[in-house]
Amino acid sequence: MTTDHDTTVIARTVARVVFPIIVVTAIALLLQGHNLPGGGFIAGTLTAAAVGLVYVIYGLDHLEQELLGRPPSVPFTDEAGITREYGSLVTTGLALAAGGGAVAILFGDAFLTQAVWFFEHVPVYGEFEVASALAFDLGVYAVVVGALLTILAVVGAE
Amino acid sequence: MSVVVAPMLIALGTAILTLGIRFAPRVQRAVSVLGAVCYAGAVAVLGLRVVPDTVLAYQLSGWQAPYGITLVADSLSVFMLGIAAIVSLAAIVFSTRFINEIGQSVSYHPLFHFMLVGISGSFLTGDIFNLFVWFEVMLMPSYVLVVFTGGSEQTDAALKYTALNLIGSAVMLLAIGGLYSTTGTLNMADISMRLANAGSEGAAIGDPTPVLGLAALLLAVFALKAGIVPFQFWVPSAYKAAPAPATAMLAGVTKKVGVYAIIRLYFTVFAAGTLPQAIALPGFSGTGFLGFFGPILFVLATASILVGGVAAVSRPDLDGVFAYSSIGQVGFIILPLAVAATVSDPAIRALGIVAALVYSLNHALAKSLLFMLSGSLHEGLGSVKLADLGGLSRAQPLTSGSFFVGALALVGIPPLTGFFGKLLVFDTAGRAMAAGATEAWLALAVALVGAILTIAYMSRAWNRGFWGEPSELIANVRLSPVLLGVVVVLAVLIVALGVGFEPVYTTAEAGADAALDRSGYIDAVLGGEA
Amino acid sequence: MTQFVLAVVLGLLFALGTFLVLRKDLVRVVWGLTIMSQTANVYLVTMGGLTGGVPIISGHGGQGTEVTDPLVQALVLTAIVIGFGTTAFALGLSYRVYQTNETIDLTEVRG
Repeated sequence: MTTDHDTTVIARTVARVVFPIIVVTAIALLLQGHNLPGGGFIAGTLTAAAVGLVYVIYGLDHLEQELLGRPPSVPFTDEAGITREYGSLVTTGLALAAGGGAVAILFGDAFLTQAVWFFEHVPVYGEFEVASALAFDLGVYAVVVGALLTILAVVGAE
Repeated sequence: MSVVVAPMLIALGTAILTLGIRFAPRVQRAVSVLGAVCYAGAVAVLGLRVVPDTVLAYQLSGWQAPYGITLVADSLSVFMLGIAAIVSLAAIVFSTRFINEIGQSVSYHPLFHFMLVGISGSFLTGDIFNLFVWFEVMLMPSYVLVVFTGGSEQTDAALKYTALNLIGSAVMLLAIGGLYSTTGTLNMADISMRLANAGSEGAAIGDPTPVLGLAALLLAVFALKAGIVPFQFWVPSAYKAAPAPATAMLAGVTKKVGVYAIIRLYFTVFAAGTLPQAIALPGFSGTGFLGFFGPILFVLATASILVGGVAAVSRPDLDGVFAYSSIGQVGFIILPLAVAATVSDPAIRALGIVAALVYSLNHALAKSLLFMLSGSLHEGLGSVKLADLGGLSRAQPLTSGSFFVGALALVGIPPLTGFFGKLLVFDTAGRAMAAGATEAWLALAVALVGAILTIAYMSRAWNRGFWGEPSELIANVRLSPVLLGVVVVLAVLIVALGVGFEPVYTTAEAGADAALDRSGYIDAVLGGEA
Repeated sequence: MTQFVLAVVLGLLFALGTFLVLRKDLVRVVWGLTIMSQTANVYLVTMGGLTGGVPIISGHGGQGTEVTDPLVQALVLTAIVIGFGTTAFALGLSYRVYQTNETIDLTEVRG
């Protein structure tokens, strides 16, 4: 795997600038996905691409060492490693997506039935709508990010 | 109404839960087994609601058909779900002892239940694109299960399996896209209705001929899933590579998804279509869509029975015999369907589907028994080569007894379920002949040859593997009681269902009637009541 | 005209995919499979009819412009996600084959 000695200053600087832009775009796509192009899957792949960029430019272990302040883990060998956290992300996402669909049954509607709420006169934002499909999208987002980063971490470590 | 979606939700919930608690192995195993029990319970409840002649339609997220995705539960779906429930319960109990601790804690249980989600979805969906999605949901975990133990043999088998199914998926997409473009809908009931009205004033379909070709394209995909010759390449290696309980699911249930899709789509949906002009081909003349597929299914079935049977006779190990045998046995399931598609008498057509359903049940039970038995032998002995076995009947009477029951069920000896399966296959062909379809003697002949081949390879496996003087290794072998218990329970179930065959037959008959009751299906889906 | 060009392109892509699948280099086989499934996706889009309109009625109520059939686009999105997953798995698998056999030549792997 690439370490920080192999990448140029340009690449490292660009990565620092680009990373937040990608993530913000991803979040925007996630939120507008209800009735505009976007949604959980696309946002998830974008986010994973952003983290993947960090992996490529700064190295796999940078994330854990510098950002989380702990020794890097080896995938699938120790139980508390980063892959376990990604795994929990996938699980949470799945539970969120499925649970969000199942809530409708409690209200006597069909599985996956969605609702939408409108909030008017919200300060700054004006009219604002919240769709329950957002829970599903968030779930998908978490699954995609978790699954992709697990693949990156495992394949990258080999 | 949520009872329709219940089996799927339970499997999905169990999959997520077992993924969440994978670092508490004991709890995870308990939840996994409990999930399978609940699944069986949900299927039973659904069965009580549906059998004999109710069709329940469930509009997902409240969008009305044909715009939304519809789940449809009728007797045919429930019969198949029942098979899935029995086999998966047995397989999951078997797995708790068979799969090693690490494997179980990594991903085995979630994968297994996700596969079950896909299987249930395929049996329940009333939308043809949704069927594609559930196929994929079912296949993806099965790819991983095939490669699960991680040797080079497994990688090889999984590669073959994945590559073939990827091509299958692409072809299925092509067929579905074409169907959408020609019929303007993806809802199966809607397709069926539009096909029936094709060509009339103001109908959505002017000329239904392209649909026939697209349906034939789809048949290739289903034949691939069912492992019918000439799409059988992946079967032996994948069955050998996957862990025994996963193989039991693949052979017992996943294959039946292909069979179910053939019954559902060709007998319920495409049967509505008629060609604008009569055509005459070898073995087929007339205008009915269904009749066109009769000879095709017959050739596929014949090839499967012969290839599977002949190859199984010469395999050196139990797994190989069982894998090739399952190719031949699927041929036996397709054969009555071929006859049913050819004849026009509704009674014989229904009988053919009943035969296919009963045979599916028998094959699912017997084959999962045999694969799990081979798995437990492999665990105890480290080998399932026929040459290394020998003398098991003295050292392991219970194991050998179960094998005997499973083998006899495949051969078709009364009073086991297999007897009725074979009997109904012969009965279908015989009655078709009596009703004037003289070509049905071919089906009779093929079935007869197939039956003889089955006797040949099963008795060979019995002679080589179970008779004779037990070697030192065999005499001292200890098989795990849980593993053996599952196998014995399945054997008892085969005997019990054979002795008390009446309810099985009535359910299968209800399933066949549901498959042929096109207007009931369309009314339930498009009738508007959710 | 667009239909015709697309039909030819789709045919060529399928031919390319099939050609690659028949090679003995495993990575090419996986590429061939990917090309085939992507071609199926493009084909699905064309099945909805090519009107040149957008597939979405944006904003609430819509502006009454010509709309392309959005269903096929939804189908393709689903198919892309599924294809994405399977392709990732197939690539992982070919890496595994390389690791265990130290070759990606299929004739040597099967031998």
